[in-house]
Amino acid sequence: MFVNKSMTRKVITGNPEMNLIEARELMKEHQIRHLPIVNEQNRLVGIVTDRDIRSAMPSIVLDDYDSSDERKRLSGIRLENIMTFDPVTVSPMYTIQDALLLIQKTRVGAFPVVDDEKRLIGIISIRDLVRAFINVMGIGEPGTLIGILVDQKVGQMKRIVDAITEERISFGSILVARYWEEEDKRAVFPYLLTNNVARVKKKLQDMGYTLLDPMEWYIDKLPGNE
Amino acid sequence: MRRTGFVYDERFLRHKTGPYHPEIPDRLVAGYKGIQEGALLEHLTMIPAVPARQKWIESVHHVAYILRFEEACLYGMTEFESPDNQMCQESYDIALLAVGGILAAVKAVMEGEIDNAFCPIRPPGHHAEIAKAMGFCYFNNIAIAARYLQQEFGVERVGIIDFDVHHGNGTQHIFEEDSSVFYYSIHEHPSFAFPGTGREFEKGANAGFGYTLNSPMLPGQGDDEFKMLIERDLIPAFATFQPQVILASTGFDGHRDDEMSGINLSTECFSWIMERIMEMGDQYAKGRVISILEGGYSLARLPELIRNHVAILMGR
Repeated sequence: MFVNKSMTRKVITGNPEMNLIEARELMKEHQIRHLPIVNEQNRLVGIVTDRDIRSAMPSIVLDDYDSSDERKRLSGIRLENIMTFDPVTVSPMYTIQDALLLIQKTRVGAFPVVDDEKRLIGIISIRDLVRAFINVMGIGEPGTLIGILVDQKVGQMKRIVDAITEERISFGSILVARYWEEEDKRAVFPYLLTNNVARVKKKLQDMGYTLLDPMEWYIDKLPGNE
Repeated sequence: MRRTGFVYDERFLRHKTGPYHPEIPDRLVAGYKGIQEGALLEHLTMIPAVPARQKWIESVHHVAYILRFEEACLYGMTEFESPDNQMCQESYDIALLAVGGILAAVKAVMEGEIDNAFCPIRPPGHHAEIAKAMGFCYFNNIAIAARYLQQEFGVERVGIIDFDVHHGNGTQHIFEEDSSVFYYSIHEHPSFAFPGTGREFEKGANAGFGYTLNSPMLPGQGDDEFKMLIERDLIPAFATFQPQVILASTGFDGHRDDEMSGINLSTECFSWIMERIMEMGDQYAKGRVISILEGGYSLARLPELIRNHVAILMGR
């Protein structure tokens, strides 16, 4: 769960002397939204985002947009004039959880990954984290999600896992969510790698569990996210 | 009255799936009972099933996969590639027989001996991938039927309608780059149901982009939403595509009494979709509709569901 396992290693970079037109073409060509700016020693000095580029460009509704005069003006603007100095960075030994919490806190879409000497070694973006979580949730594999309401007390998960394992069903993942309607409840979401869940659902009900109505599933319910 | 072919063979009951499996021989027995009780049997044209030639299985599946499946059965293995796929020594032969029966029905329709056909076969097929068994399926029956139509009869546009409650991942993947086969599926939303594919944004790839269409339904939605989606998505898509033959992946597991799903469809809704399919068959495909059984597990409901389905095919 470390950033260095999920980050993009082949980073497209710019340098402070690069001009706006060059940066725009580079980002377009590689379909990226964040361009880390490095010096000759590959040390990170700043970052340019597609928003920085667009803010520096004339409006596309203007007549002289992309005219030769305008292009000349834009090619005179160097990235050091528009880049963000000292962007938020993470170390390769940050965990995925760190990166997620940092994204939530800073509202930044990608973090350059730097070593102790501030040398750029990768970039981790929301896109990389999404890929990691699709993997963690197991949703790349065929299966069925079920939702179980459980009391918040020790041993519940074991009972559920045992009951499902006895049916010889493999797990893609198990997510646990705070259940918002009753304080002392948890919602457990096993993603089961089978098309055959009718029997196990009945078994869980016979064990006294309540199966949640699928339309009441909220894996993503966060405090303050009303 | 239409001349409806019927592919039923008691050997389909010999594909055994063990004690705890929903895909059981009794499903076909229940359907047969419904047809008998509806006094439809004597008006159907019986189509004998003979094992399909391997050539046709290979038109969809990798040779190595076919051999792997055959060997697993010969060795007496009781499951294949996943605990979902329970089987017995005879399963390979029965799967070949199922495909063979369907191809015989397709041939009879194309040669004008019958107008349409219902193929209540086992094992089902729409989850089977090119080289992977999945979700009780081994050979992708409907995909092989589509290839047979193309290669043997030169059909240029095959329309597949899959109304099993689960998305037909195998069929979609087999044809996703193929603009000569339109794959439409309506099913329970993949975030809530097996197999986790069939999202609205899956529309085919490369040359086949726009020839795959998925209408996922949320749990609890029911008949009204089902009908709305068919009218909004399927009807206009087929009006544009103009299929020359329609193949239906017929699944009754979206019924509200079926434990496999939660989309709450009524018995009447299954008649409604079949009537729409028949109308499209008449409009674009000279009435050539071949219905191939996929899922449907409520033994209490299958008699009426299959009786109605067959009666509509027969135009009664």
